[in-house]
Formats: sequence, structure tokens, C-alpha cells
Amino acid sequence: MQLFPCPFCGPRPETEFHYGAEAGNLRPDGAEVGADRWAGYLYMRANPKGATREIWVHMTCGEFFAMERDTIDHKIGRSLALGENAE
Amino acid sequence: MRDLAQKWTAVPDWHQAVVELSGLAVRSRAGLHQYLVSGNLDAWSSASGLPTRGAGAFGITGGDRYAVQVARDRVLVVSATPLDIGNGWHEQGFGVTEISAGLHVFEGEGPGLPELIARATPVDPYRASASAAMLFGGVNAIVYRYDAGLRIHVDRSLATYLWSWIGTAGMPVAKS
Repeated sequence: MQLFPCPFCGPRPETEFHYGAEAGNLRPDGAEVGADRWAGYLYMRANPKGATREIWVHMTCGEFFAMERDTIDHKIGRSLALGENAE
Repeated sequence: MRDLAQKWTAVPDWHQAVVELSGLAVRSRAGLHQYLVSGNLDAWSSASGLPTRGAGAFGITGGDRYAVQVARDRVLVVSATPLDIGNGWHEQGFGVTEISAGLHVFEGEGPGLPELIARATPVDPYRASASAAMLFGGVNAIVYRYDAGLRIHVDRSLATYLWSWIGTAGMPVAKS
């Protein structure tokens, strides 16, 4: 059982968490946004090998946050509550 | 016609039901008033006289009225008597929702509690955690200490499942 760091609760078992999305994939704003930009937002993912930042939710307390994770060895880095310099 | 009701475990008579195993006794606790309070918890504290922060995971509570933290901006208030503050949104910046009918409460006691906790969740009962909400026995629950015992609040629809789980998981493990 791996422990993930919820910014509010602290270390909790991974089964209490749910993956949200890649961090920084912001929703386009405005009617002038082109089809390519929408397609990128909806379908294109960086899927990096190595360090990445992702949005997760701690389902028991409802906290949404950004978490650093390594996609190779699954090591977990910092977690930041959204609004604390986390996109 | 098939009787699908037979597939489900019968709901126990909660007034009589008790799990009594070696070093562990768990009973249903009725009659508590439960409220979810969300929003500005400082304003809630000023209005209610309760602390801004409720007890966290396996935090210690007691008395006739107390609060348990379930999220950054939400507490579960448990009281032996109804609150004087009404349901609904309050202009100070918090909302109150009575949830007494929505959550079933179990009380456990005895020296077997640590073993039951160890089987129910990997959360360390001796390490502070701000929220008392956790997966317990596979379902969302709110878990904290009350005096020398343990109180578990669970969605009422899952109470029979958790009751069965406690009765099974609390059994001593055969050692060869």
C-alpha cells in the first residue's frame, strides 16, 4: 500500500485518492479559441516519462490538489492544495 | 418470480445487535443529532461556541456536543440535543444541514480495537491527521475516539455491510 500526501490530511492510503488530470492543462477561454487549441485541451496529453505534475482528489475529504509524481518509479514528491501556486 | 431480497443480508435489529468477540464489543448508537456545517468555520465557531477545528482521524472527543473535521471547510457536529442554530445558510458565511437520518453510528470498545483498526484502514491511529473521514472496512466513514471507545459514522445504506464486515474482520486469526 502506497501512501499519498493529501495537503490537508497528510499521508493517506492510495485507495482514498482518484486521479484527475495532468496539471496545467487549462480550459481555453473565449469564443475565438480555435479548433486546434480545443483539440489540444481535450485530447492531447504530454504523457511524460519521469517527473510530472498531476491533479488528484482525496475522495474522503474532497481536497483537490497538485501532486508531483515520477511515472517511472512512482515516487511521490510534494503536494500542493489548489490555489497554493498550483495550476 | 425470484425473490432478490434474499440476496441481501437482513438488516439487524439495531437496538439489540452487538458484535462481541475476544476483546471487542461493537454496538449501534442511536439518538444522536448529527449536522454537517460547511463554509466559514471561524464564523461557525463564534456562533456555536464550538472550536473552529474538529477532531481529526482517531482524534479524541467526549461530552454531549463536539465537532469532527471531515474536510478543510466542513465539520460534522454530533450532539445529544438538537442545535439552537437552524438548518440552512447563515449570513455569517456557513451552512448547516442536519444529517441524523443519513449516517449510522457504531460504537466499539475493548482491547481488541487496535486490531480491528489495523484491519480496517492503513491510516496510522497514532499519527495526527486533520480529517476524520477515511476508508474504513472498504467504505467511506468518519472515525474518531469517543472517551475510551471508537465511534464510526457511515452512510446508513452501508451500515449493514459494515456491520457484517466488523463481525467477520473482528474474528481472531487462526495461528498455526
